Amino acid sequence: MSATPTVPKRLPTDWKSDAMRKRIARRYAAERRFKLAGLLAVGLSAAFLAFLLFSMLGNGLRGFTRTEIAVQVDFPASPLLLDPNAITDQALANANLPMVTGAVVKKALGADAEEWVSPTAWTVLRDRIKADPRILGRIETIKLPASTAIDLAAKSQGSPDAEAAVNRLSKARLISTGFNWGFLTLSDGTDPTQVGIWGAFKGTLLTMLVTLALSFPVGVATAVYLEEYARKNWMTDVIEVSINNLAAVPSIIFGLLGLSIFLNVLHLPRSASLVGGMTLALMTMPVIVIAGRNAIKSVPPSIRDAALGVGASPVQVVFHHVLPLALPGILTGTIIGMARALGETAPLLMIGMRAFIATPPGGITDPATVLPVQIFLWSDEVSKGFVEKTSAAIIVLLVFLLAMNGLAIYLRNKFERRW
Amino acid sequence: MTGPAILLLLAGLGAIAWVSARARAMRLQTAARASGRRDAVHSLPGYHGWYVALWTLVPAGIFLAVWANVAPGLVTESVLSSPAAQSLPADDFSRSAILGEARAIAVGAQAGAFNPLSQGLVEPYKDAIGKYGMAGATLAIVLAFAGGAYAFTRVRPDFRTRTRVERLVMATLLIASLLAIITTLGIVASLLWESFRFFSMVSPIDFLFGIKWSPQSAALGYGNDDAFGAVPLFWGTIFIGAIIAMIVAIPLGLMSAIYLTQYASPTVRKWMKPTLEMLAGVPTVVYGYFAALTIAPALRDFAVKIGIHGASSESALAAGLVMGVMIIPFVSSMADDSIAAVPQSMRDGSLAMGATTSETISRVLIPAALPGVVGGVLLAVSRAIGETMIVVMAAGLAANLTLNPFASVTTVTTQIVQLLTGDQEFDSAKTLAAFALGLVLFIVTLLLNIVALRVVKKYREAYE
Repeated sequence: MSATPTVPKRLPTDWKSDAMRKRIARRYAAERRFKLAGLLAVGLSAAFLAFLLFSMLGNGLRGFTRTEIAVQVDFPASPLLLDPNAITDQALANANLPMVTGAVVKKALGADAEEWVSPTAWTVLRDRIKADPRILGRIETIKLPASTAIDLAAKSQGSPDAEAAVNRLSKARLISTGFNWGFLTLSDGTDPTQVGIWGAFKGTLLTMLVTLALSFPVGVATAVYLEEYARKNWMTDVIEVSINNLAAVPSIIFGLLGLSIFLNVLHLPRSASLVGGMTLALMTMPVIVIAGRNAIKSVPPSIRDAALGVGASPVQVVFHHVLPLALPGILTGTIIGMARALGETAPLLMIGMRAFIATPPGGITDPATVLPVQIFLWSDEVSKGFVEKTSAAIIVLLVFLLAMNGLAIYLRNKFERRW
Repeated sequence: MTGPAILLLLAGLGAIAWVSARARAMRLQTAARASGRRDAVHSLPGYHGWYVALWTLVPAGIFLAVWANVAPGLVTESVLSSPAAQSLPADDFSRSAILGEARAIAVGAQAGAFNPLSQGLVEPYKDAIGKYGMAGATLAIVLAFAGGAYAFTRVRPDFRTRTRVERLVMATLLIASLLAIITTLGIVASLLWESFRFFSMVSPIDFLFGIKWSPQSAALGYGNDDAFGAVPLFWGTIFIGAIIAMIVAIPLGLMSAIYLTQYASPTVRKWMKPTLEMLAGVPTVVYGYFAALTIAPALRDFAVKIGIHGASSESALAAGLVMGVMIIPFVSSMADDSIAAVPQSMRDGSLAMGATTSETISRVLIPAALPGVVGGVLLAVSRAIGETMIVVMAAGLAANLTLNPFASVTTVTTQIVQLLTGDQEFDSAKTLAAFALGLVLFIVTLLLNIVALRVVKKYREAYE
């Protein structure tokens, strides 16, 4: 017979003792520290986001403005040989306006003032003369865009020389700040006062159109097939594995694919929106397939059964009932996928979209660039004037992404149905 | 006849086919019903319309697609056999230049000829293009009519059109889903093929284990095989993506997830979760610009102030820090999911024993959720090492093997971009090296993903 083990007598814990009080205090302090660490982590992440956005806003808002210098232009006295009654593009091109503008500015503001206005300031004179040839008989005060040095100095970032010039100009009340319409209507250039995002924006639109036109139908068709019709066999498994892998492949690999297949094998045009759109479509398709499958899966089986029960064929069930009900979910996924494609840069660098392109593309086979690539190109520029342009372009890009994600959230909230 | 005109004409024919076939089917079906044979009607009239329209469009469309690829060759052949082509130079390069110019003038893409020889070829080109264009158009329209007529004769009330149209729909769906396989195969094939060419010039051992990377000198002809040793790139990639970025992302992501799921009030959670997710939605080029413009100079100044040698304005730390911030949402959402999957009873049991919330989290929830968290971290690492723009803009180009986070290192993706921009000749080892690097990157990210998904799956099963 084994003896029953004797349990040593244990006194009840004295929670009021000093040791226990200390221990509990320590544990509560650890609890507070842990909670604080969590709060700190959330706070730090949010603070980083805020810092990023504010630094872009701080730099970028200036990119939407430009400094203008009011110059008194004495047309009759200027060395301009133009007949007010015969203003043609040819006559204006022959009038040597850049030289005339320089002379006019020198006369109005002093010998060293020619450097103060933008090298493309003469286009302002040209446009004014074209709009109203009678101006040639008058003395007119015209606001000319300032050069990069003056522009930076007016935004208090310039060299001492330029600062002095700005001081002189502002004392004479000749300097002003206006909205830089050129930033929205021009394309890439070499002078930061004369660049704009229109070319890149148009390239982005064309590229996104190609991406959407290719990835949406294919993605939806794949999702429908896998979710509704595919039999469980090795081929379906291979398709599923490929799609999940494609969703995880780094974007630059898609660029390598585009380079070696689309450009080197199929000989499609380099730098074109067509190839960019095709490359991004391959990247976006898995996103649409995965979102589409989830949306289709959430349509209750009773709807399919009811449709089948009244005699619809399997194809009719899907196209008349399941797809319309799943469409909001599919659209939300598509918008999110497109937003990702919109911000993508690396694969487009691979297929040559980093070229300097000063004219907006006319079609999908023309050389083009897109907003993120334009940002990348400007960030590489040495000239200090490009800093604010880069940030301004980033603001435009972020506004677009925000709008797209907002649309996705709106669609989800408005059309999402819970069964 | 031009391409768009043909397509427009075909579309018109298709529409006519649809309308007329549908009308005929309706008439026949009404007649059949009127004569009391209700069961003799099979498909809806719309299906008959689609059937005939598809027979009109599909054969003609396939023919046009083939023709568009065959016709240029035929045109060139007929131009070459014209009398004006006898005076062409024999060497292929100048010959194709002249032919290209003549074609450009003939289709109106170019105004005048630089080479007098090509001017003489413009007329033959115009003739040939016109001739073959006309032939293609005629054949396509004949095919469209033939197909449409054949299908139209089969429109009957009891003809099982729906089955046939749906078979085509199913085939289309299947082909669409096969595109995913084709893309994967395309990636693998292109990477393997170009890498194979690279490894025929540089030995794989030197590439994978060499510690000297300077492709420029090899390209200029005074380098040796050592110049393609990729170890410094692998180290740079791991240093930035798997070490520095994770040191930032794991604590911040994990603690954010814990705070938001366990402590925060519903309102805070509702607002902060999407805010943190915005970090993943910011384009990488923006992060790169931010790292290069703001973070990197600040870090360099800091390093110089505390007296660290070799501080670079393209430091590994700047790129890694910013990349870590970008990765936070990935880690936190994976951690969120796996903590939520821990059964409530485990949590309640721990609390009932008198553990504080933090003790429950760190001793019960995290150990139980660990496989899921690890899987999430592996996915985050695979994402970080494939990230391109941040490192291209903020990390350097110098291939250093260094432990100093303030020094400049380079990564696989940076070098791919570097090697493939600028002039490209597809027979130099310099260009092909990018594909070998791409292959390594592809394999590593794939393996990481497979392992991560397996870990997560196994863990989910443990609690189900």
